[in-house]
Amino acid sequence: MGYSGARGGLEAILAAEDLVRRARDQADAPWAPTGQITARFRLAVDRVMGEGGIYHEPTAAAALRQAEGDPLEASHLVRAHRTTLPRLAVSEPTDPDEMIVLRRIVPAYRAPEGPQLLGRTTDYTGRLLEQPADRPEPQPREPRDVRERTEGQRRPGRFLDLLRKLDLVTDQRRRDDPEPVDITRKPPRPPAARSAVLSSMARAETGGLVAMWYRSILGPDGHVHEVTMGEIRHGRLPLRVRHPHTGNPVDVGEFRVTEAEAIENLDGPDEDRTKLDVGYGLCFGHNERKAIAMASMDIANRRFGRSGPLEQLLLLTVDGLDSAGFLEHLKLPHYVTFRSIVERKQAMRVVAETSAVPAVRLADQFAKEF
Amino acid sequence: MTEVMTREQRCGLLAEAETEELVALADECLTDGVPLRVLSGPEVGVIAAQVREPVLAERFLLGDVLACRAEVELAGHRGWSIRMGDDRAATLAAAVLDAEVQGARPRSARVEQLCREVARRRAERDAAEWAELAPTIVEFEELT
Repeated sequence: MGYSGARGGLEAILAAEDLVRRARDQADAPWAPTGQITARFRLAVDRVMGEGGIYHEPTAAAALRQAEGDPLEASHLVRAHRTTLPRLAVSEPTDPDEMIVLRRIVPAYRAPEGPQLLGRTTDYTGRLLEQPADRPEPQPREPRDVRERTEGQRRPGRFLDLLRKLDLVTDQRRRDDPEPVDITRKPPRPPAARSAVLSSMARAETGGLVAMWYRSILGPDGHVHEVTMGEIRHGRLPLRVRHPHTGNPVDVGEFRVTEAEAIENLDGPDEDRTKLDVGYGLCFGHNERKAIAMASMDIANRRFGRSGPLEQLLLLTVDGLDSAGFLEHLKLPHYVTFRSIVERKQAMRVVAETSAVPAVRLADQFAKEF
Repeated sequence: MTEVMTREQRCGLLAEAETEELVALADECLTDGVPLRVLSGPEVGVIAAQVREPVLAERFLLGDVLACRAEVELAGHRGWSIRMGDDRAATLAAAVLDAEVQGARPRSARVEQLCREVARRRAERDAAEWAELAPTIVEFEELT
């Protein structure tokens, strides 16, 4: 509170915090254990894992409980917790083609390689508010004869590879292999490597990223044109590290991610108009809105990031902790700041009253203050 | 999994085993009074998840995964474990079991048996998961 110009109030602050703790922890309702939160509010948990930047469901659930269900405050708690933890390793680069899919749809094409697997979703059904007083009775289920999952069903071929086979997509694959930027160690500033932008979007506040995407489609920016979604996947990726004794890779577990590919129609004067290009989105947990927005903004950033403010916006304004943190600080005492504004106004009034300048300021064409 | 298990496969399966079974077997391994030195940990930290995206083949850091790591020396043989999550007891026990096999000690076969059991459960979970997912395969019709 360096420039808030206030001190004291400790008793009131403690009493206010106590109100939060008592109302939250001693509410006249059964305690919400961590398992309850991860099982029934999985999308909120996944969102906090993504925006907080740590994949661990119980940690995200505990943060949500402490934050009284506010995902942004929960993400803040998770980020702060992360700063107390050492980095044990950097994983081997994971190939998203290794994903075991739990859901996979290709909106652009009816019959891609591998199944269109709806998975766990209500996307295709009308939803009305349900208010059950208690846990609903389980619906009877017919036992089904299911054949063993094939490799193609487990890890379907990528739609982008089909586009490549058809020579429909620009091939911009890099021959070099630059080290990825670690935005947790050094805040990224433009101009930045694409890896920094991807990391920033992966940790972005979902609503902030979606709003930027929507502004790019409907707003004045026009960075996103005829976007069509290729792959949208939710599934599990292996976490792989080097064994310190043998030097060989070890799969130490799996983490869930959502992946999206956005296909863009190239129409710029310097672009190959016979081809398409693809943007990429990937984030922790199940968060399709975020992955889709990220994929669209990736291709937009590659096309227009440096010719306007887009790269700067993606690096500096979509982080929820940054934006909400700045917004929330406005609630802190600003007595000195505001008093200085008032004093300036009063001084101007004195000048106006003692000079030939009219006391009531008229709109002047140069928009200058006296 | 009937073929010879590599150390990496074993570490991966121990990383997935339940706490109770790991700790119980590790306790058994120590009943003969073998000297155990904890070289590091168990320490909770993060593993930065690195991904090579498929469009430009560029690497980027997706975020961090919570993990726990331990390293021990059992009868002069080093054991190592890293597991997702923050379960220190399970991680330490898994490192002990890794060392038990490295030293070809009496309960090596039991450790490998536990690993095979974990692999069997994984396959069972995979089949149950597919039984839930398979009915959601869709073939939309195209309007022409």
